[in-house]
Amino acid sequence: MKRNYCVSLLVLSGVFILITGCAPFVENNRIEEIAPVIFWSIDQGEEGRLSICTLVPPLVKEKKRLLTQNVHLLKEGGKLFNLIYYRELKLGQLRMLLVNEEVAKQGLNSLINTLFIDPEVSPRLYLVIIKGDFEAYIQNQLDKQPNLDYFLYRMFKHYEEKHQGEMSIVNLHTFMKNLHTPLSVPFLPVFKAGKESFTYEGTAFFRHDAMIATASGIDDQIMQLLSNDHYLRLLPIPSLSVTVGHIRSKVRIKLADSSAAVNVELYGRVEEYRGDKDILDHAEATELNDQIQTYLEKHTLELLQKMQRWKVDPLEIGRHTMTPFTKPMSDEAWLEKWQQLKFDVNYDIDIQPFVEKK
Amino acid sequence: MKAISLYNKTSAFNGIYIVFLVNRLQMLYFVLLQATFLVYPHMIWAIVAVGALSQINLILVSKCFSSELLLKGYQGYVELFGKQGVRILAGIGLLFLIVKIIVTVLGYMEMVHYFVFPSMDSNWLILSVLLLGYYVAAKGMDNTIRYVSIVFLCTFWMIGLVFPFFFPPIASIYDLFPLVPTSWTFQSWKGVLLIWSSLSGPEYLLVLLPWLGKQQKSLKYLSIGNAISVAEYLLLFIAAILFFGSHYLDKSKFPVKSMIRYLQSPIFERIDILMVSLHIFLVVFAFSIFMLMFYGGLRIVMGRSLQPGKLTGFVISLIALTAVMIILNEWIWKGYTGTNMLLELQIWLGALTYLLVPSFFLLAIKRKERLKL
Repeated sequence: MKRNYCVSLLVLSGVFILITGCAPFVENNRIEEIAPVIFWSIDQGEEGRLSICTLVPPLVKEKKRLLTQNVHLLKEGGKLFNLIYYRELKLGQLRMLLVNEEVAKQGLNSLINTLFIDPEVSPRLYLVIIKGDFEAYIQNQLDKQPNLDYFLYRMFKHYEEKHQGEMSIVNLHTFMKNLHTPLSVPFLPVFKAGKESFTYEGTAFFRHDAMIATASGIDDQIMQLLSNDHYLRLLPIPSLSVTVGHIRSKVRIKLADSSAAVNVELYGRVEEYRGDKDILDHAEATELNDQIQTYLEKHTLELLQKMQRWKVDPLEIGRHTMTPFTKPMSDEAWLEKWQQLKFDVNYDIDIQPFVEKK
Repeated sequence: MKAISLYNKTSAFNGIYIVFLVNRLQMLYFVLLQATFLVYPHMIWAIVAVGALSQINLILVSKCFSSELLLKGYQGYVELFGKQGVRILAGIGLLFLIVKIIVTVLGYMEMVHYFVFPSMDSNWLILSVLLLGYYVAAKGMDNTIRYVSIVFLCTFWMIGLVFPFFFPPIASIYDLFPLVPTSWTFQSWKGVLLIWSSLSGPEYLLVLLPWLGKQQKSLKYLSIGNAISVAEYLLLFIAAILFFGSHYLDKSKFPVKSMIRYLQSPIFERIDILMVSLHIFLVVFAFSIFMLMFYGGLRIVMGRSLQPGKLTGFVISLIALTAVMIILNEWIWKGYTGTNMLLELQIWLGALTYLLVPSFFLLAIKRKERLKL
């Protein structure tokens, strides 16, 4: 009886091999023959096309090359890369998508959707906006730092993991969620690429899927404190000759009809002081405290007003209008209100003193 | 041809098997898609409410459990409905069964095809699941029911994977607002129907009664199984809302799978593939047990249920089922409208069987008892 089962099952499978007439596996993932690329960089190409480039081979001890293609479609680039390079490029390990500022200003939706619907591409793909010419930077660094692509990825991963406030690192999923959720604004980190340098600039805000503006310097730091990470490892304030470190923030937002009170509690410690005050003296330290407070209040207010002008609300203040029992506001209604809001910014800074008073 | 003994009863089953059976049949396939259809946070309450309704329905099921007639199997059915009546009912039952089998297997295989083997011909995947299912089914009803404990152990722990989604930075309380419905549309009703349909499955236990044997505290075990399922639904759905937000959620085809994809593990990068692969235990189990029911039903319809089963008949019905499956996959499931049509059909049929079968059986039993008096 047992043999009969086996025979009939074999016959059954045999029949299906004949019917379908093809081998089940089409993809070849032999590791020696593929190049699982780590990043794609997308720039404005000629005649409205995209110029996409990547570095191959990743993590193999072999001379690295930068491949560039001018294409209409993203995946077309993926195909063309295969035609000019001896390894097949695979997207399974794609970790970063670097998009030029000019492309981002026209809207990212079509590009992002391509990657979103691809089950091979991880939702943890980092999205980065580039100012300048990333291709030139990579090309220039090829000999000096052969594994640069991998190290860049490690950098993003490092700062994403613990949310230390250095950079706003955003992955594909978070961007998509912010893009589709009402009353929230997608944002991405901006890096400036020169021939020799690759520098973090700040945070870019999006209206729908198009890049609107960038917050950099102190604006970006305040953004990290108020919404993204609620933590800053270091906050140097050169105008007060002071560096405050290990800052944690608690933000309370109270919305009224036409005004919003933003109350921020900060806890941190002075890590460096090069000014004239004697910060070991309690009274002078309090004075410094007040100065930092005024400084932050002023810049926060400025940042909020800038955001009003840009018509974006990346701090998600609009979400504070939501309650469990009411219908949420529409994006349009909130934006209307957002532009009219008067802000009242208050910082309550608690910076640890250096010496205990006896 | 030798006779085969698919339907022998050799041993009694513990009540815990009922818990496993109820729970796993309720976690079959729809639960993987549920979030996409429910979308809004207020559906949390719908899950709780429908779960409670299902509990009420299970009281009816447990009443049937204590009936001597159903314990007798085919003989009991004949006493209940008469010979012709059983044949007609079995015929109708076969239709429900076949749709359930097809949607479960094809739906699962579509997921595997989409995520794990996109370049492979999906018929191969279906064939492999079917072969596994046939192997389990050929071991007989007793062993298939026993197999559910392996299935439970292999798949139950996966619910633990959703816990990271309940903590920041992913979780934000605003994603759960508004908690009350601000508008109630036709879609919301369909969501409720989907939950009910996903909870269907325990009604099939009624035909397994001859194997499960007389259970003393059947309601207790049925309720535990149902409660675990509802808790799992809630965890999965709330996690999905926190992860996607309700406006992005309906853009995801397989929300549970996409959520697991987001997790990172230092050892194994694609936890989602592990999850999809382990889910095959459940699909194979469901397929084999439904397959045995199907074959048994087929024998009743053909009027042969009292004769010893023959291998030829079993193999022929296997081949026929395989052919139907592959043809449906080629013609219907691969197209968008076809998939939706079959899904919709199964949502309605599943809901219908769960609603009607227990009360129908109970009514028939009561009527019989009254006639006896």
